[in-house]
Amino acid sequence: MDSIRLSNVVPEIFASREDLHSDIWHSEVTIERDKCYLIEAASGTGKSSLCSYLYGQRGDYRGTILFDNEDIAHFSTNKWSDIRQRHISILFQDLKLFGELTALENVAIKNNIAHTQTLSQITAWFEELGIGDKLHSRIDRMSYGQQQRVAFIRALCQPYEFILLDEPISHLDDRNSDIMRDIVLRDAKQKGAAVIATSIGKHMNIDYDKLLRL
Amino acid sequence: MTLIWKLLRKHISIFELAVFFVANLIGMAVILAGVQIYSDIKPMLTGEKSLIGNEYVIVTRPVERVGMGAPTFSAEAIEEFREQDFVLDLGLFAASQFEVDGSIMFNGRRLSTMMFFEAVPDSFIDVESRDWHFAEGDNTIPIILPRNYLNLYNFGFSQTQNLPQITEDMIKRVELGIRLSGNGHRDDYVGRVVGFSDRLNTILVPMEFMNWANGYYANASVGEPTRLILEVANPGAPEVTSFLAEHGYSAEDKPSESSKALFLLKACVAVIVGIGLIFSLLSVIILTLSIYLLLQKNITKLENLVLIGYTPSRVAMPYNLMTLILNLSILAISLVVVFIAQGEYMGYLSDIAGHELTASPTTAIIVGILFTAVIIAFNFFIIYRKIREISKKR
Repeated sequence: MDSIRLSNVVPEIFASREDLHSDIWHSEVTIERDKCYLIEAASGTGKSSLCSYLYGQRGDYRGTILFDNEDIAHFSTNKWSDIRQRHISILFQDLKLFGELTALENVAIKNNIAHTQTLSQITAWFEELGIGDKLHSRIDRMSYGQQQRVAFIRALCQPYEFILLDEPISHLDDRNSDIMRDIVLRDAKQKGAAVIATSIGKHMNIDYDKLLRL
Repeated sequence: MTLIWKLLRKHISIFELAVFFVANLIGMAVILAGVQIYSDIKPMLTGEKSLIGNEYVIVTRPVERVGMGAPTFSAEAIEEFREQDFVLDLGLFAASQFEVDGSIMFNGRRLSTMMFFEAVPDSFIDVESRDWHFAEGDNTIPIILPRNYLNLYNFGFSQTQNLPQITEDMIKRVELGIRLSGNGHRDDYVGRVVGFSDRLNTILVPMEFMNWANGYYANASVGEPTRLILEVANPGAPEVTSFLAEHGYSAEDKPSESSKALFLLKACVAVIVGIGLIFSLLSVIILTLSIYLLLQKNITKLENLVLIGYTPSRVAMPYNLMTLILNLSILAISLVVVFIAQGEYMGYLSDIAGHELTASPTTAIIVGILFTAVIIAFNFFIIYRKIREISKKR
């Protein structure tokens, strides 16, 4: 997959509003591989909706979203599984971790699908992000900031051409935020993938190719 | 797999599964034992080495008009009978075309009466006697009487007339005077009763005698028969009754013992299998509800698994595996129960049949596999449908 194109897309609930001043809604936007995008949004402007549309969770929008010229409105459930396994990775804003599993198990359950990363690579990332001692702790016993880092590592455990980071550093300090930035840029560059980060204020310190305001 | 299982086994109710297991085990064992017993007993009632044996049906055409002569079967009609699959063998009744006068000495008086004879091929006769033969020049004619006649006399006539009862042996010792006349001949013979038939309701003489006597006393070859005797596996079979009805033939039917027994067997098995089905059906409902509840309780985890890239079928796998193991264990245990039960009752059946029967649980295995496959397929379907529903885009 090489490009994501949004053509005149708008959430259904915004469809009748005429006061929208957005770089994305009602516009033509193309997202390409090998580039970095920052989507800045005030709350209530549809940031979560946009992520849900791109990840196939929701379809309540007008307009057209194309993956390589294919309209995603007609994708089957299995097609979405394939996209989630090999083409688009996501760090959910609400993380979607499994509370009763340990940190490592949460990463492994994703990595088991395609066995993309080695155990040593995974543990190295844990160390790098300062949670090396939490490998075998249950997720529901960890702080939100720690969980955010586990979810981030999980997002790296698959092949992808686009990585979607929904408010990735909302609970991180600047040091960890920079570490996360370094890791994702390294990994994305290696894969030739696009990085798409969203933010409602605080954002990773990256030299973004494009800034899009919702 | 182990990680998914670790996640999804949460909320599995051992109690509900145990109830399903026990109920379906009972249902399945009852159903399989029922069909197995049915398939073991059925051949004893209907097959070649039948307990009761093949049955015989005597077919006539109803009298349509008085005085027109008895309706007969044409050669074509007989040929049509022979072509039917249910007809194992067919015999023609030959009737005497000459005058028969029978007499008996009773208390010093001679009682005489007009009579008639009929003959059928020997293979249709249910009496074994060394004296059942006739050759030209013999002075003695062997005769077989219907057992009904004797019963009618003993239990009806003799009681009301204050006459002594007579036994079969007494009758066999009596010499009957038989005078045959016709075609310019008149001769006296000795008639001797050699046996009694339960099957044939007529006064029988050997076919050899009938063929000769019709030629000699009536100068007639045997005409078209008025009655036919059919050997069939099951006279109650629909193809038999419908064939007779279509052609307007009537059967001299005494209710067939084997069809009555078969009906009784079918009724019993239907009740047993019905009870088994109710058990199984209820247990499947319990399992279905249990699975639905389980999926509902784990719905967030299922959603998240699909969102991180698992396909619906992969997510369904642990639950499919669970129902597979449950149902296959139930099948295995039920079959063991049937094997054991069959070992027990085959002994009794062998005693009744008079020869050793081999126990083979093929029917139970086939029915069990089919039934289990249906239950498993249904379980898979509801699991998959529910997970598809969860995975759908909103």
